[in-house]
Amino acid sequence: MQSLVLYIGFGLVTASILCIGAVGFTLQFGISNLFNLAFGATMTAAAFVAYVCNSAGLNIWLSLVLATLAASVLSFLMNRGIYLPFERRATGKFTMIMVTLGVGIIIQYGIEAIWGGDNFSYNMAAGSPVHVASMLFTTTQLTVIAIAAVAATAVHVLLRYTRLGKAMRAVAVNARLARNCGIPVKAVVDSTWLISGALSGLAGVVLVIDVQVLNSGTGSDFFILIIAAAVLGGIGSASGAIVGSIIIGVVAEVAAGFINPEFKDISAFIILAVVLLLRPTGVISSIASAKEVAR
Amino acid sequence: MSGAWQFYIATLVIYAFVYIIAASGLNLQFGVTGVYNFAFIIFQAAGAYCTAVLTLGPSSANGAFQHYIVGLHLPFPLPLLISGVVAGLLGVGLGALTVRRLRADYLAIVMLVISLIATGVVTDYQGLFNGAAGLALIPQPFASLTSNLVVYDWLYALFAGIVCALVLIAVRMLIESPLGRSLRAVRENENAAAALGKNVTALRLLVFGIGGAIAGISGSVLVSFTQAWSPESWLYAETFVLFTALIVGGVGSNLGPLIGAVLVPVVLAEGSRYLPQFGPPTLVPSLEWIAIGVVLLAFLWFWPRGILPERKRTFPSAAVSRPLTSQTTGDLAVKDLEKESGPSR
Repeated sequence: MQSLVLYIGFGLVTASILCIGAVGFTLQFGISNLFNLAFGATMTAAAFVAYVCNSAGLNIWLSLVLATLAASVLSFLMNRGIYLPFERRATGKFTMIMVTLGVGIIIQYGIEAIWGGDNFSYNMAAGSPVHVASMLFTTTQLTVIAIAAVAATAVHVLLRYTRLGKAMRAVAVNARLARNCGIPVKAVVDSTWLISGALSGLAGVVLVIDVQVLNSGTGSDFFILIIAAAVLGGIGSASGAIVGSIIIGVVAEVAAGFINPEFKDISAFIILAVVLLLRPTGVISSIASAKEVAR
Repeated sequence: MSGAWQFYIATLVIYAFVYIIAASGLNLQFGVTGVYNFAFIIFQAAGAYCTAVLTLGPSSANGAFQHYIVGLHLPFPLPLLISGVVAGLLGVGLGALTVRRLRADYLAIVMLVISLIATGVVTDYQGLFNGAAGLALIPQPFASLTSNLVVYDWLYALFAGIVCALVLIAVRMLIESPLGRSLRAVRENENAAAALGKNVTALRLLVFGIGGAIAGISGSVLVSFTQAWSPESWLYAETFVLFTALIVGGVGSNLGPLIGAVLVPVVLAEGSRYLPQFGPPTLVPSLEWIAIGVVLLAFLWFWPRGILPERKRTFPSAAVSRPLTSQTTGDLAVKDLEKESGPSR
């Protein structure tokens, strides 16, 4: 029982990182109706920006802020420079996936061309261990959880209580109707990519702070779990992404602890497969249903 | 030509045939029917693993240095055929799970995740196909014919070429047949096809099966040549390469997969594998990937229909070429489709 609580603690750390990424990914889908498969590569790019800042002598937390800003701008430019022009040509949904995958591959291997296949890590103070109930965290991990909590709360407040958030929700459910109601859809889409890009950068850096290994595939590998969490929670829904992240994160770590460390990813995917069979729109399905992702 | 060069070129030729087989299977799914199977590579892997465990002896051979299931030591054409059937059934199974209910791009994402699950399962369960290390020493089917390695490679290239030709002919016959017309109808307008009495789900499942079987055959041909197969051989990015090949060659056209498979995987990816290295060891492969990504984006932007676009098909109008009886023209059109493809299911 004690060890179960311990593994749930580990799961909360993974869930926090997943949550930041999944909320960003799901927002992009909700507002742009587009699965951005370059999301994982953006995470890696941000983590490398933080690595460069960190190596130049900056504090890791300051590097995190700079990397988050960089990822925000990168995502914005990606959407404006590549995705929107393709969409303006009425490119099919599947072709858009190929476009995002192509962009992701170019970014990921661009990073590999510069830094090679080596592993890197940040230069930062090791956190001291902290016991919470019978869970064991380091102070760094607690910071990671706090960052995720703040980010999730901020997105919640944004969507629920601000004009921009209200506009975003309207665009997510029906972009044409939103435009006809006088909502500046273009500006809403731009802001969404800035925000979700920032979340991707934050997720990338926080991931490396937690696992302490960075290479050109770091973001893309973790991205699969993010997709699983977002789809499980109901693609397009921010609160769904949080629920999905907690389920995937906790189940993955508990399975890793009790069954076999290598069972970590597989268990998460088994949940996902079951959900897809029983309820393909995910747990919180309002936006996924509005976009008719499943029949 | 020196032996090394002949070896190199024969290898490239075999790879080209394998990619052409795989690309024509994917073309049937993606190009002709509009099914976005982002897990395509796992069917090639299924065929490869199936052939490997059927041709290898029992797992205890060679000092039991690798662990795997089955181990039947079957003689040559059997593993190839069984691999095709197994991969085809796997296709129908996975298709049945997903194809009925999901939107096209959502299906693609789900299949991508399935592809990664499969890699994870095979990597983590060592007893299945020897885990991350993969299977090695897979017997060569024609080893008894010649002991000269270069001659053997050319012999194998001939064999791969024959399999490739058979697959291309079969796929072409299918595409040009009335069934192929139904498949294109599903791609162009699912609701219209359904309204004409076509069972859209059954047709999609059918191409999941046939495409899977073709992928399985390509994997079987490949693994009997390379004699080794591991999770590294079928990462999801390989599916991306095949999709890029189709987009470059021409989605849905008969010769598109052939041109695309030669240009993208062989010339861009495999071609440089044996060239002199420059810079750090990861530089050349990463530049290859960047090149593939750039080629993909360029084609999607400038030539979205590919080098050899699918030709526009024209049919004489059934409704005007026959005298109208008491039936409406709509009935005639349905009758016509039924005549071409058998009674609707």
